[in-house]
Amino acid sequence: MVSRVDVPKGGFNFDNYQRNLILQEKGFSLPKPTKTGTTIVGTKFKNGVVLGADTRATGDTTVMDKNCFKIHYLAPNIYGCGAGTAADTDKITKMVASQLELHRLATGRESRVATALTALTQFLFRYQGHLGAALVLGGVDVDGPHLFSVSPHGSTDKLPYLCQGSGSLAAISIFESQWRENMERDEAIELVKEAIKAGIFNDMGSGSSVDVAVIEKGRAEVCRGMEVPYPTIQKVDSYKFKPGTTAILSESFRNFVTITEGDAMDIS
Amino acid sequence: MDSFLPVQVSWTPQTAASGSDFYPYTNNAGTVAGISGGDFCVMAADTRQSFGVGYLINTRYQPKMFKLSNGSVLGTSGFYADGLTLIKRINQRLEWYKHAHDKEMSTPALAQLLSITLYSKRFFPYYARVLLGGLDLEGHGVVYGYDSIGSYEPCLARATGSGGSLIQPFLDNQIYRKTPLGILQAPHTLDQVKAVMRDSFTSATERDIQTGDYLELFIITAQGVDVEKYDLRKD
Amino acid sequence: MNSILNEFKSTSALCEEELHDSLYDWDTANGFALPTFEFPAVHNLNRFMKDITSASAPCQIEIQHGTTTLAFKFKSGVIVAADSRASQGNYVSTSSVKKIIEINPFLLGTMAGGAADCTFWQRELGRQCRLYELRNKERISVAAASKLLANMIYRYKGMGLSMGTMVTGWDKTGPKIFYVDSDGTRVDGELFSVGSGSPFAYGIIDNGFDFDLDVPSAIDLGKRAIYHATHRDGASGGTVNLYHVKPDGWARIGRWDVEDLHWEFQDQPKPSPINSSVIG
Repeated sequence: MVSRVDVPKGGFNFDNYQRNLILQEKGFSLPKPTKTGTTIVGTKFKNGVVLGADTRATGDTTVMDKNCFKIHYLAPNIYGCGAGTAADTDKITKMVASQLELHRLATGRESRVATALTALTQFLFRYQGHLGAALVLGGVDVDGPHLFSVSPHGSTDKLPYLCQGSGSLAAISIFESQWRENMERDEAIELVKEAIKAGIFNDMGSGSSVDVAVIEKGRAEVCRGMEVPYPTIQKVDSYKFKPGTTAILSESFRNFVTITEGDAMDIS
Repeated sequence: MDSFLPVQVSWTPQTAASGSDFYPYTNNAGTVAGISGGDFCVMAADTRQSFGVGYLINTRYQPKMFKLSNGSVLGTSGFYADGLTLIKRINQRLEWYKHAHDKEMSTPALAQLLSITLYSKRFFPYYARVLLGGLDLEGHGVVYGYDSIGSYEPCLARATGSGGSLIQPFLDNQIYRKTPLGILQAPHTLDQVKAVMRDSFTSATERDIQTGDYLELFIITAQGVDVEKYDLRKD
Repeated sequence: MNSILNEFKSTSALCEEELHDSLYDWDTANGFALPTFEFPAVHNLNRFMKDITSASAPCQIEIQHGTTTLAFKFKSGVIVAADSRASQGNYVSTSSVKKIIEINPFLLGTMAGGAADCTFWQRELGRQCRLYELRNKERISVAAASKLLANMIYRYKGMGLSMGTMVTGWDKTGPKIFYVDSDGTRVDGELFSVGSGSPFAYGIIDNGFDFDLDVPSAIDLGKRAIYHATHRDGASGGTVNLYHVKPDGWARIGRWDVEDLHWEFQDQPKPSPINSSVIG
């Protein structure tokens, strides 16, 4: 028997596109995707690249997540920081990560940063900016350290230091005044931390703590909460409710187990 | 009769090409709250001023509460320029009142004055969310809450501005003691109220990106107005 | 040359007038005039008002709105009742609004629509009614008072005012209810309910109404009507405020939390906390 069910071939489903346009005309606006203000940065140093990100996720002017993770895994030697529509950055990096994994299994070679870059830009370009993913992509491969930025339309930049997101102006000011060529590892980490902190304090869309990823030849290290620049202010009072504050309107019990008399268990 | 005279309106020359080109507001946000007690009133506001869209902080310290008399404090949030203009107008009327009557205006009278001042711009409203706190004629604490065109009412505790909807439920619970069982009124001392106020703002700062930097408490008692300053998150 | 002169003349006259206005704003004698308003410098005021109050505006002006109000005549006068919730969009901004406005000791008004519009204009009406009394040495009729209000707000028709009110009182002709709204409607009637919860209130009133109701039953009917409206309409709630209009002026009957009424009308005791020490 021939199956009449269409098996999804992958990719996006546009079934409701026309319907949603009509609904929008009638005033039923689409639910807004989470677009978060962000500070993400990356810089090259002597032996590799350092990526950095803040950890605040916002929905309009509300903080939706105080400690979210914006540095995405692409390959053991490649990571990408995401800004823009949260779902898009999440899914695109995951899709490319699996493509790279399959590619590594097929070729038996380490992934190249350029491969990840090409996969990302070709995918983004097809959707003409409708996928709101802006990324800072960094990694180390056979050709050495690489750092790229990717825009939602699919254009790219190749620079020794990069910033993206709403806090990028604050962050770039740190790089522009303090960046040097061939920095040591610790120096580069410190500079990235300072740049993210500039975003955290001066951009309302960025906040909480600093996440850092350091990628060198043969090793990558991701550090969650490398710096928490502002400790949580302790409450003056405690607001615990006493037990019994909530009234019981009604009670009912049901027995799920029937207990019957039987022989005593042998425990000898 | 007077009411048959033509309506007096102050039309200014029509310079704007069309209605929609003219949008005279910006949201500088921020949060204001007030709690009244038996013989005191605590008004609080953060000091961050931000610039509407674009996640920009204009300044970390721009007070948005103003002492109007020895018994009343006005807090504004929303469009700061409108708030300032409102304060200027009110202060001028208070000055005239002082010269005419040789005394300071009472807080309840000030509350009504504020209402009609806001309503005089019914067709061109101030984008200001204001809160008036002080002591009434008997010396009891009182907080007046407003909408932007002058609807007002006295209340025990009120929060308004960008973090207002985060703080108000907490105040309903802690001050009004509103529970599913009805209102369980709690007696509260000045120290308890100050603690509730500080904790309200530290929590609001955690979740509202437009609230933060510093907290200013204005404590109004029969002795006058005291100001205290505390730290808030700056991210 | 003359025309130029005239132009300047008229301009200066305008300036003087403006100066006069601004100076006499502080003069108590000017208090007899009608209120004045500042207007934005736009061609299309209607569009401007829509712009600034629209939900998509970057700085939305959110106005407090009122909801269920009712008034009905019966043999012993008029019962006026209302809920106490005010909302700004989806946000319940307060639940203790006085929606029954005491215009003077003989007149009551109700609040539905814009809260500020109702309070401001009914306060203004109270002032004009007092002036009428001083000029004519007798109280104003409810018909005249409601017409003053209707005419006053008709000047601003289409400019964004929002009010649906009932002006009630007892005058030489007996108990009266006039419905007045910002569209310009003014009608004399026996029974009105205004606001988003009004269909529910009408349902209860129409079901239980009898002109010969005694006072306690009429009060109970008013209470139940508002309670049921708050139960089914999300924009109504808080407390029921109730007044009785009598020949010698109105009397405030009481205020009841709708939650208490809920258990009362269900004939059930209100649940209390298990641990009584949590109170206070």
